[in-house]
Amino acid sequence: MNIENTQSQMRKGVLEFCILSIIKRAEAYPSDIIEEMKKANLHILEGTLYPLLTRLKNADLLTYRWVESQSGPPRKYFSLTDKGAAFYKELEATWQELANAVQSITQNGMYQSETANNFNQ
Amino acid sequence: MKKVININFQGRVVPIEESAYEELKNYTDSLRRYFAREEGRDEIINDIENRIAELFMERLKNRPGGCITDQDIREIMTSIGRPEDFDGETIETEEGSSYARTAGTSNTSFTEPRGSLYRNESDKVLGGVCSGLANYLKIDPTVVRILFTLITLGGFGSGFLLYIILWIVLPAKSLQQQVRRRLYRNPDEKVIGGVCSGIAAYFNIGVWIPRLIFVAPFLISIIANIFGRHGGPFNDFPDVVFGSFGGTLFVTYLILWIVVPFATSASEKLEMRGEKVDLESIKNTVQEELQGVKGRAEKFSDEFRQKASTFGEEVKDGAQQFASNVAPVARTTGATLGHAIGVLFKAFFLFIAGIIVFALFVALLALVFSGVGIFPLKNFMLDGFWQHAMAWGTLILFLLVPIIAVIIWLVRSITGAKSRNNYLGYIFGTLWTLGWVCMITLAGLISRQFKRVGNVKETIVLAQPSNGKLNIDLGATTGKYYNMMWFDESDDDLPALSADEDSMLLRTVRLRIIKSKDNDYHAYTMKLARGNTPIQAEQTASMINFNVDQNDSIIYLPKGFGISKESKFRNQQVLVVLEVPVGKSVRVDRSIDWYRWFNIDMGRHGINFDVDEDYYNDYSWSSDIWYVMTDKGLERMDGATGDSGAGNNDWNADENEQKGEYRYRKGNDTIDIKIDKKDTTLNIKLSTEARTMESDNDNVETLAVKPRVSKSAVIRHTFIGALDLLKIGR
Repeated sequence: MNIENTQSQMRKGVLEFCILSIIKRAEAYPSDIIEEMKKANLHILEGTLYPLLTRLKNADLLTYRWVESQSGPPRKYFSLTDKGAAFYKELEATWQELANAVQSITQNGMYQSETANNFNQ
Repeated sequence: MKKVININFQGRVVPIEESAYEELKNYTDSLRRYFAREEGRDEIINDIENRIAELFMERLKNRPGGCITDQDIREIMTSIGRPEDFDGETIETEEGSSYARTAGTSNTSFTEPRGSLYRNESDKVLGGVCSGLANYLKIDPTVVRILFTLITLGGFGSGFLLYIILWIVLPAKSLQQQVRRRLYRNPDEKVIGGVCSGIAAYFNIGVWIPRLIFVAPFLISIIANIFGRHGGPFNDFPDVVFGSFGGTLFVTYLILWIVVPFATSASEKLEMRGEKVDLESIKNTVQEELQGVKGRAEKFSDEFRQKASTFGEEVKDGAQQFASNVAPVARTTGATLGHAIGVLFKAFFLFIAGIIVFALFVALLALVFSGVGIFPLKNFMLDGFWQHAMAWGTLILFLLVPIIAVIIWLVRSITGAKSRNNYLGYIFGTLWTLGWVCMITLAGLISRQFKRVGNVKETIVLAQPSNGKLNIDLGATTGKYYNMMWFDESDDDLPALSADEDSMLLRTVRLRIIKSKDNDYHAYTMKLARGNTPIQAEQTASMINFNVDQNDSIIYLPKGFGISKESKFRNQQVLVVLEVPVGKSVRVDRSIDWYRWFNIDMGRHGINFDVDEDYYNDYSWSSDIWYVMTDKGLERMDGATGDSGAGNNDWNADENEQKGEYRYRKGNDTIDIKIDKKDTTLNIKLSTEARTMESDNDNVETLAVKPRVSKSAVIRHTFIGALDLLKIGR
C-alpha cells in the first residue's frame, strides 16, 4: 500500500464527475474543459481527456457535433445526453453522500453529536 | 541547418523539420501502441491528432513562413502528455505534482519478488493466467501462451483443464511486465523476412545460428536428392517441403513472417534487443490502461457508495462493529463464488467452441494427410496436364491453405497481434475458392475416366489333374513389392502394392467356383476395367496381364496383376472362374485370402459379357478345406457340418431365372431365404427349436437383429453372405 496509489485512485474517482459537471453547464470543447479544470487547480492531460470522452460517448452518456473553427480543423463540441444527465444526477448524489460520510468520519470527535443522527436524511 | 519537409497531417499540409517529424511519428506510434487494446482506439487517436493539427495551425499562424520545430513538438507533447504520463497522474493538483510524478512508475509495479503467482489482469487473452505465469517466471507471455496451446493440442485438452483450474484458483492482479524484450522481425538485417535476425536479437546470439537452423534441412535434403537420386531436386518438391523436420521449420518461418511485426520505430528496435527503452513505462502503462479508467472509476465509486450506505445503516442499527466485520467478508465470499461460476460458464462455452474448432481442424489435417498419402498414386490416376494441374491445385489450395490459415489465426489470437493485413483474409478466401474449383474439376475429370465398364474373357487351358483333385494356390512372388502407402497400419487394407515408381500391383482378384457342365475342369478369367468409353475400358482390360500356372494338380494364381503408368489405374479387376465337374474335388489354399475381394458392379451400364447360365451357380467355400462337387453344390469332404460355425448350406437356384432358395441349417435351427426374380423382396424364415419367425417384407435388418437365437452372429454372417450373393445374382 503506498500513498501515491491511494491518492491517484482518489483523484481518478472524481474525474468523470468533474468533466460531466463542466459539460452539463454548457456545450464544451476539450480544450475548454482542460482550461476550466486548470482554473480549479485540477490538472489533466489532453491525452487522458480524449480517451475518457470517447468512452463516455460510446457509453451514450455524451454526444457531440462538429463546429467549424477559424484556427484549424473542425472541433468536436460535447454535450450531455438524457442518459448522461441521469448518470450525472446519480454521481452527484453519490458524491454528496461520500463527501458527508468522509466529512463525518474525518472530523469525527467534533461533529459526532450533531451529524450522526441526521446523517442519512 | 535543418531539413524541412512537408507532411499531410489530418488533411492539412504542414511544413515541419525532419527531426521534429521523426519525433512526432514516434510519439503518435507510442500513442497507437498505448491505446492498442482500447475499444475506440481509432477515434481517440484521431481526436488527438486533430488536436495536434489545431495546435500546429495556431503556431504556424503566429509565424508566417515558419515551420514546426522540435521545440513545438516537445511543447505539444507536454501539453497532451506522453503515454507514460497518462496513468496515475490523471490529475495533478499544484501541491501534488511532486509525488504524482513518481506515481507513474510505482502505481502499478508490484515489487514483490517471486513467490506470488497471480493472474495478470492487465495483459490477458482469456483469464490472464498465461501472462501471470510468464510474469512469475519472468519470461515473455507469448512463450507461455504458445506452450499452453501446444499442451492443449497435444495433451488431449489437459492444458485447457489446467488453465481453468488456475483461472479459478489464482487471484487477479495488475502486474507489471517483467520482460521488456519482445520478438520482432528485424528490417535492418533481413534476407527474406527478417525472422532469423529478429530471433537472433531476441536470444542475443549470432544471426547465422537461426539462419543455419532454418536452412540446414533444406540443404541436406537437396544435397541428398542430388546425390541419392537421378532426378533433380524439384521432382521431389513435396519431399523437401513436407518432409517432417524441414517442413515444420518451413511452416514455422512462414507463420513467424506473417505474425511477428517488423520493428519499425526506434523504441521497438530497442525492445527487440531487450535494451532499456526511452519511453520506459509504455508497457507498464498499457497494462493499467487496459482495465480502463472508466471501469475503475465506476468500481471505485460503487465501492464507496456501498460502503457509505452500509455505514449509514450501521449507524442506524447501532451494530457498527458486527456489521463492519461481516460485510466485507460476505462481499468477498460472494464475489469469489460468482467469479468461479462465471469462469466455469465461460470455460464451458469455450470448451464447446474449442472442440468444434479442433474437430474441424483435425478433419482438415486428416484430409491433407490422406491427400499426401495417396499422392504416390497420382501417376496411375491422372492423365494429361490438366488433371495433374488440378491435383496440385487441390492439394495446395483446397487442403493446405485452410490449415495454414487456421494456424495463423491461432498464433495471432495467442500473441494478441492485431490484424494489420486485412487482405490476408481475402487472399486465403480467394485461394480456397480456387481450391474448390480445382477439386470439383478434378473429380469431374477423373470420374469421366470411370464411366464405362469393359471386360475381356480369356480361357485358361487346364490339364486335367491325374488324381481328380485340384488345389488352388498362390504363386511365388516375382520381384519385391512393398506397401506404397505411408502409413503402416493400413498395410492390409489396401488393394494395391507398389513395385516401383512406374508400376503398381493390384490384387483385386476374385475366385469363383462353379459346377462344370461336363466331366472336365475348366477355367477362365474375366478381366474388367473402366474407362471413358466401353472401347477404352475394354482396351484397358485387355492390358491386364494375369498368368495362371499349373503343376499337375496345383493351379498357381499370380499374386496380383501389374498396371503401369501408361495403362493407368481404372479399377481393373480379375474374376477367375473355375468349373469343377461333379464328383471331383477342389481345395483353395489359405494364401488365396490375400486377394482383395470385390463385388462385381452391374450398374446402370451393365456388364456386357455373355451371361453363362452357370454364372449364377456359385458356391461358398472356405479356404484350406477340401470340397467335393455334388449335384447340390460343394460339400465338405471332412464331413463336418458346423464345427467352426459353418453349417450346412443349400443353394437351390433356378438357373437363368435369377431366383432361388438359400437354406442354412445347423442342428434344428434353419434359416430360409427366398429370392424372387420379379421384385427385390427377400423372404426370410427363421426356425429355431423355440419359435419360428418369418419376414413379410424386405425388412431384413430388423429381423436379423431381433431373433434371440444363440447363434445370432452366425446368422447375421449368413445374411451378409446371402445379400452378397443376391447382389451378384441380380
